[in-house]
Amino acid sequence: MKILAKILFVIPATILLLVSPGCKKFLQKDLQSQLTQQSFPTTAADALLATNASYEILRDWYYNSGGYPILDIMSDDARKGSNPGDQLNYVGPYDVFTFSATQDGLDRWWNTLYVGVKRTNVVIQFVPDIQMDDALKTRYVAEAKFIRGLLYFDFVRAWGGVPLVTTVNPPQHLTRASKEDVYALIISDLQFAADHLPMRSEYIAADLGRATKGAAQALLARVYLFMHDNVNAEQYALDVINSNQYVLEPVYADANGVNGNNGMESVLEVGAIQVENTDGGGAQYGNVQGVRGTPNKGWGFNRPSVDLRNSFESGDTRYKGTVIDLGDTLDGVVILGDGTTPDVTKDDLGNIIEVECYSRKVWVPGDNVTTQWGFHRRLIRYADVLLMAAEALNENGKQSEALTYLNMVRARARQGNTNILPDITTTNQTELRDIIFNERRHELAMEGWRFWDLVRTGRAVQVLGPLGFISGKHELLPVPQSEIDISQGSLVQNPNW
Amino acid sequence: MYDNFLLKQKIFSKKVGLLLILILGITVFSFAQVRTIKGVVTASDTKETLPGATIVIKGTKTGTVTDLDGKYSITAITDKAVLVFSYVGYTTKEVDIGNQTVVDVQLDFKKTTLDEVVVIGYGTVRKSDLSGSVGSVKSEDIIKITALNPVQSLQGKVAGVQVTSTSGVPGESPIVRIRGVGTFNSSSPIYVVDGIIMEGIAYLNSADITSMEVLKDASATAIYGSRGANGVIMVTTKQGKIGQEKTTFNFTGETGMQNLAKKINLLNGHDFAMISNEIKPGSFNNIDAVPNTDWQKLIFHTAPIYNFQLSASGSTKSMQYYISGGYFRQEGIIEKSKYERITLQLNNTYLLSPFVKLGNTLTLSPYMQRVAPNVTYSAYRANPTLSPYYADGTFAAVPGVGNPLADLAYSNNFNKGIKGIGSLFTEISFLKSFTVKSSFDIDAAYNKSENFTPAFTVYNADGTISQQQHLLSTLSKGFNDNLTWIWENTLTYQKEIKKHSVNAVFGYTMQNTSSTAMGMVGSNILRDDPNFWFILPNNIYDPANGVNNINSIYDRVDINLNYSMISYLLRVNYVFNNRYILTATFRSDGSSKFSENNRYANFPSFAAAWNVSQEKFMKEIKFISKLKLRGSWGKLGNDKIPYNRRYAQVQSNIITIFGTDGSPNSGASYGLNGNPDLKWEVTTQTDFGLETGLFNDRLTVECDYYNKKTDDILIDLSTPGYYGNGPNQKVTYNAASVINRGFEFTLGWRDQVGKVKYNFSINGTTIHNEVLKIGGSSGVDSVLIGGYMGNGIPVTRSRVGLPIGAFYGYKTDGIFQSQAELDAYPHDAQAGVGDLRFVDVNGDGKIDGNDRTYIGSPIPGFIFGCNFGLEFKGLDFSFNIQGQTGNKIFNAKDVVRPDPYNFESNVLNRWTGPGTSTTEPRASFGGYNYSPSDHFIQDGSFIRLRNIILGYTLPAAWSNKITMQTIRVYIKADNLYTLTKYNGYTPEIASGDVIGNGIDNGIYPITAIFSFGVNLNF
Repeated sequence: MKILAKILFVIPATILLLVSPGCKKFLQKDLQSQLTQQSFPTTAADALLATNASYEILRDWYYNSGGYPILDIMSDDARKGSNPGDQLNYVGPYDVFTFSATQDGLDRWWNTLYVGVKRTNVVIQFVPDIQMDDALKTRYVAEAKFIRGLLYFDFVRAWGGVPLVTTVNPPQHLTRASKEDVYALIISDLQFAADHLPMRSEYIAADLGRATKGAAQALLARVYLFMHDNVNAEQYALDVINSNQYVLEPVYADANGVNGNNGMESVLEVGAIQVENTDGGGAQYGNVQGVRGTPNKGWGFNRPSVDLRNSFESGDTRYKGTVIDLGDTLDGVVILGDGTTPDVTKDDLGNIIEVECYSRKVWVPGDNVTTQWGFHRRLIRYADVLLMAAEALNENGKQSEALTYLNMVRARARQGNTNILPDITTTNQTELRDIIFNERRHELAMEGWRFWDLVRTGRAVQVLGPLGFISGKHELLPVPQSEIDISQGSLVQNPNW
Repeated sequence: MYDNFLLKQKIFSKKVGLLLILILGITVFSFAQVRTIKGVVTASDTKETLPGATIVIKGTKTGTVTDLDGKYSITAITDKAVLVFSYVGYTTKEVDIGNQTVVDVQLDFKKTTLDEVVVIGYGTVRKSDLSGSVGSVKSEDIIKITALNPVQSLQGKVAGVQVTSTSGVPGESPIVRIRGVGTFNSSSPIYVVDGIIMEGIAYLNSADITSMEVLKDASATAIYGSRGANGVIMVTTKQGKIGQEKTTFNFTGETGMQNLAKKINLLNGHDFAMISNEIKPGSFNNIDAVPNTDWQKLIFHTAPIYNFQLSASGSTKSMQYYISGGYFRQEGIIEKSKYERITLQLNNTYLLSPFVKLGNTLTLSPYMQRVAPNVTYSAYRANPTLSPYYADGTFAAVPGVGNPLADLAYSNNFNKGIKGIGSLFTEISFLKSFTVKSSFDIDAAYNKSENFTPAFTVYNADGTISQQQHLLSTLSKGFNDNLTWIWENTLTYQKEIKKHSVNAVFGYTMQNTSSTAMGMVGSNILRDDPNFWFILPNNIYDPANGVNNINSIYDRVDINLNYSMISYLLRVNYVFNNRYILTATFRSDGSSKFSENNRYANFPSFAAAWNVSQEKFMKEIKFISKLKLRGSWGKLGNDKIPYNRRYAQVQSNIITIFGTDGSPNSGASYGLNGNPDLKWEVTTQTDFGLETGLFNDRLTVECDYYNKKTDDILIDLSTPGYYGNGPNQKVTYNAASVINRGFEFTLGWRDQVGKVKYNFSINGTTIHNEVLKIGGSSGVDSVLIGGYMGNGIPVTRSRVGLPIGAFYGYKTDGIFQSQAELDAYPHDAQAGVGDLRFVDVNGDGKIDGNDRTYIGSPIPGFIFGCNFGLEFKGLDFSFNIQGQTGNKIFNAKDVVRPDPYNFESNVLNRWTGPGTSTTEPRASFGGYNYSPSDHFIQDGSFIRLRNIILGYTLPAAWSNKITMQTIRVYIKADNLYTLTKYNGYTPEIASGDVIGNGIDNGIYPITAIFSFGVNLNF
């Protein structure tokens, strides 16, 4: 028994001594079935994954101004849409400029843009150190910088200066950078992209949708227009035109439709497939605006306004390319609309103020919701590049060149019918400026540009004042109150909010 | 030794075989005799014989035990021998045998419980030497309550302990809170069963438990360091008694019926039609002719509950054993819900030598739970004017809710599994004062969930398809396994030198816990028959039949059960002259949940106690038999967070679509940031206590003041948007503080008048719970929002100065009686005459979201219990009352109503014109009056007659005739009566989510149980 006692005593003691040095390892529980940020990205395959992930944010529902197309709703082109009560307190206030810093959607948009910034920073910060093909490496970084520039351009237009994050782990208590600093980063990112990205024709078909040299140049042109630098805007717009990579779709509706998916007019496009969830590859952007009721394509937000409907030139084929009216038949589907939405809404004086109709710009053939999730949102169309070129040329005193590009856009809209949309011939700069601006409204209606075009050209208060727009306040959105609260005052609110 | 064991086994099987007819002898072990002494051992007070009393010849190892009749015989060698008689609970007596051959002995009942031994962490201590606050419940009280989970028996028994049933779902475990709610995370105590640390004891059979001790203050719990902050419940299972060589069998059989304890007053068909016509005129043509369906009556029925167990225990010179088998079955009062459990318990200790013990405990507990859909809620809301069936016998549609009976009919939801807990230990004593103990424990569990819904369609009356439809049959399965092993090594030093007594424990422990979960969903199963409840590839992906369940497949670790720990512990207890007690405890825990910098944390505690009654000057004060003062201070921890919170994760399921034909391309990038600086929550607890016994301990009083402050509580906070974590994403920080403080008392009275023995005790606890800090320097959220109702609207906000999970909504101030009154007050645009008047709390002249405010606390201010017991001859009677006051309930099931649901009967007192009501607004099917407000807050106070028992033990003479030692029969009732103002099924509304507590979203009601039982000892 004594021997047994000894053995029984010795065993635990020995094991104790043996095991103790292994404590450190014993107490290390690594993350299971998931990579940690310490171990990613480290390979060429990782670099591709990280780059691809940067694009995905453009398909995220909240990338689209927080979920709902508030930019069009804030403009004179569109009303809230859906039935009168739907999201009245959430989206309705954007229609009438009564929204505040706590308004639903602002925080989602702000946060989602930074998710995208983080993903691009992962590529920009870590991919250069990966051992891999140098050309591909440079392309990945250029793709990421392109997207980062795109995201910050959303930021600077919506809020002005914002915290400028260029590393994966930003410090605490960042303050807002100046608007100029944000623009400087955008220009440098996009210039790097324009210098290093392949042209559209250099990508294989399966890679269409990736950032191109043309997309970077077109975006630079747009950025310079917002900076009122017409010389640079002209140059970059003409670079795109002269690259001979793009032409207009013969049929206007195809410019945003399935036939034109990653087509010849598409300069930057967000791919999606017909799957009813974002993680699976679908996009909710079209679903939010899709026809409500019968066929059940979506929620019916962003309804073309009476003002927009009435503003098209007589016979303009773009009306039917922009508005779906009740009773229309599209791709064999008859549009009956929604039972809970009045067909016509009148004010107290009997004036028609809203007509049940839907945006044609997001139409995808089919009679169900799932099809609508496959809508490819166009972020830059060649028609836009032509109109940007026209605008910049006119500002730079080159009216005749401007007319060439302007009339290309009108010619396509004419669809061979010589009785409508005559060529513009005036060379009066002021007159032409208004004509080009008006052309932008009709060519690009419901695509999210109208509000910002009104603001950047100083026309907002004149056009939107009656809707509630206040000069000196509504040019920018309020910084989400939640962000100001979290920063404990490091972030300062925009003026007059 | 081995032969003896075999012999025992033989006898055992023989006994079981013959059960009631075999006469048991114990003379099997008699050998050659020199001189035999015989006698009977009886109790001095009752004069009853004491079977199983131990008789040992002093100074030798020779001994025996009394038989069923209290008789013994022993062989002594010399006339000078002294016999030592002992029996549990009685004073030991020594008798010089002289030349006697018959020695009858009467043993005196020990009145005092002063020297009761209390189980504490890594050891035991005499109650008088205890410096901490520990509450104890013994076997006889544990088995009184008919419940699956033994912890239910603590309800109303121990001051400071709140046990609340979450619902009456068979197999559901209650929520346990010790001294308030100390964190926003899991606030449940840990359980230590025979030394094995675990999260719950639903697998244990109450009958296998000797005692449960609740460790409450820092002195008692600090030995469990990082897991002690919410308190510790020590559970000790039964062992064979040393010296009791005769095998004792115990059989208990109990069967009962469960009923719905209380129905909710809902409108009948007529009244519903009347109200509907008021809201929407013309809804019903002739309200006297509408049918009436009592949906509650349709879904509830009486259901049986069974509990059987058989155990055998005893000891030989070289081993102690306890083996038992139990079977528990509870049918639900709602069809298709039930719980069945088998428990096997095997506890053995082998005495290899006087210095070496080897032993094992082993519990195997397979179970089967069937879960019914939540038809309580749908029956509550179902329109009473609709019949459940159409004329052809098919299910009728119930708009907005679904037909509860159809839900039941198509439900097949099961959880099946087994839990196994086993421990091997060895204990070696050496150098007289030292004991080393090493134990290796396994806690393993496997659970399989299976949920099959056949394809079905409930049609509307017009033949169209209703919302209640399941197009393709679905079968979902989930598999969970988990394994914990714990290796604990302790060295104990115990020494008494003159007036000094020292007990010290040093320990080293390791633990590893891992768990995985896997599951999938299949659709379009070939047949509805259970024989086909298997998922084949085409049940996962078969586009031709509309099957695509690829995304339903999961295979992952359970993030809450994946960690390892290493701990060092030390406790020194020093007692001087039985008067002055000092205890110091220290535990250092290392956990894999934290990064290397914060991996280890130290948890010290100190306590002192003074047995005033032992002082000389107290000897004069005769009526005080006991007086002790004690105080303790210490730090404890809480680490109940998922293991992955510190890691910055990579999100790898990102898809981007490229190409003209839209091909998915894989992507991955940084997801949520981690917080590598995470550390333990720390609770600092101070306790002052007084224990006293008066009038020879007939009256006992124990009072405590506790103050428990938890800092560095782990909460999820929003981060600045520019961190790129995304909208509505949160990261865990140590960023909140909470305090709980209050008084606890237990008063006991125990006496005997003639042949009537009785006892009475009452205990109470006050709780002040307050959030001291949220967010703070991290620069983030200052409120935690939670408590979601069925429609996703949260109704609690925890913020500084309020209790955890405080209700949040509008304050009401009467009803708008007239248009003039409406115009005179700020009001919401939707408000009309007859509607609730919300208070303009911030005084800005309008009613909006900013006027929502604190409208009540789900945490009771006072909890109490009361126990009474009486014994007279063979009769025994006891009852237990339990309750709480000061807490509120949010009646959320009444709030969520976008459709014409049924109403509670208070709508009959609605406002119908000026002056008709100032509390009940005009009737409506939803909208303004159903905004979360204090209109839906009800008083949650209650007093419940938890348990009442009447038993009768047959006279020994009768039972002995049929070879039984004791036979007791009893009847009892659980939850017989509840006094409460709350109009729901039960005022016990608990949730494990501390910020979602006290919200009645329509729960499965707890039941009243009437049962009959028999208990046999033989």
